[in-house]
Amino acid sequence: MTALIILAVVIVIIVLMYNSLVAKKNQVDNIFAGIDAVLKKRYNLIPNLVSSVQQYMQHERGILEKVTELRSQAMKPGISDEQKIALDKQITSALGSIMVAVESYPDLKANTNIMHLQRTLSEVEAQISAARRAYNQAVTDYNNAIEMIPTNILANMMNYRRKQVFEITEDERKNVDVGALFKQ
Amino acid sequence: MKSASELTDFYYTELYDSLQELEQKRNAVRKKVLTLFGILGALSLLIIGFIYNSCHCFNESFIWVGVGATAIGGFGFRWLISGYRSGFKEKIIRPLIEAIEKELHYAPDAAIPQSLFQFSHLFEQRIDRFRGNDLVRGTLDGVSLQFSDIHAEHRSRDSKGREHWSTIFQGLFIVADFNKHFKGRTLILPDLAENLFGSFIGGMLQSRNFTKDQLVKMDDPAFEKAFVVYGTDQIEARYILTHTMMQRLLKLKKDTGSKVYVSFNGEKIMIAVDYDKDLFEPTVFQSLLSIDQAMGYIRTLRSSIGIVEELKLNEKLWSKV
Repeated sequence: MTALIILAVVIVIIVLMYNSLVAKKNQVDNIFAGIDAVLKKRYNLIPNLVSSVQQYMQHERGILEKVTELRSQAMKPGISDEQKIALDKQITSALGSIMVAVESYPDLKANTNIMHLQRTLSEVEAQISAARRAYNQAVTDYNNAIEMIPTNILANMMNYRRKQVFEITEDERKNVDVGALFKQ
Repeated sequence: MKSASELTDFYYTELYDSLQELEQKRNAVRKKVLTLFGILGALSLLIIGFIYNSCHCFNESFIWVGVGATAIGGFGFRWLISGYRSGFKEKIIRPLIEAIEKELHYAPDAAIPQSLFQFSHLFEQRIDRFRGNDLVRGTLDGVSLQFSDIHAEHRSRDSKGREHWSTIFQGLFIVADFNKHFKGRTLILPDLAENLFGSFIGGMLQSRNFTKDQLVKMDDPAFEKAFVVYGTDQIEARYILTHTMMQRLLKLKKDTGSKVYVSFNGEKIMIAVDYDKDLFEPTVFQSLLSIDQAMGYIRTLRSSIGIVEELKLNEKLWSKV
């Protein structure tokens, strides 16, 4: 009888651990889908941005070409989550360079279309930043579970592997001061 | 918005005549209140003495004498101060609010409706009695804002069928427009579980709270220590709670020195500050001319109205431009 009770308790614990691991993995996938959605929103803005600025930015043609190339890579079907994370980092940096370059063209900076694009892009950046933070928390919970005793034993049997987090730079932690940006 | 010192000057200079008049009224009311309490106390002692003489025992009736005297005292107190109270609200609180912001309207006897309070989902207990007063509403820097005192209570019965009233929330309830679009609901509550049971057990209890939405762990240790966040959408909760917003909410908690509850629902921000007392009520036993009293009124009004400025709700940066 005692052996049966112990066996039942062990089974319940294993089921709970298994369900908790699956829930954590699904949470990561679910939030990554959220990131994908906002990243696509940003990819859709890139052609508009490039076409609006390219006639002004003759000297920055390299950045524009790079961002277009990165976008087409990111839009390719079947790329892995790790590749998406790496591409997102490069696109963020390229878009940042374009935005800095916009500041050197007074006509362009005052253009309503550009102002609207900047605002929409800032909004999307805020959403991407929120999605990245949510993803990182989900990945941290998942990574902790697959590395900590006793869930690591089960995770190993289920062939669960560590996942990569988005690295957030200190600059991105700060809120963008759009008011100051428009006053420049 | 006027600074606290400008408002203190306003209180003592512009409102001086009203303060003098009200101070005389307060002295008269205070005498009446003390007389009432004296009579009630003496009567209670007489009745208790009479009962004790007749049976030479202590019984339940002594408690009833106490309860009766307290009830009559409470009712009498409210009746005696009613004229002074309404005069104080009209002549002191209303001009102070108008001095802070002309676009704000004051209704001393109105309150935020119960439906809006419940819409916040901050307090899920059944409400059996809902009262409030001192409603302030209007627009500040283009942001629609309203706040009032609220007292929400819950009724329960014990095994003997006796009725008990417990307070669900008493304090200031503020509703304002929020400067971002969102579809779901995000709640920020004081972190009681982690403070009581530590981060490990407390965290486990919070994540297994089936009456709430999903637990949202925030990436700011100080914020996470002070608050617990529940939301319908993990990403949206973080879209609302940027690092800057978390810092502002922490500052708000520190400045008020009270428990702060925040709800983001229906594109509104709703903040409940637990003061456990009725605010903006006139003092009876302390002079209206005392600096502590004046500063108390000014500080509460400024911090309620200043929420818009403090949380930068007027900065419509993104899609709401």
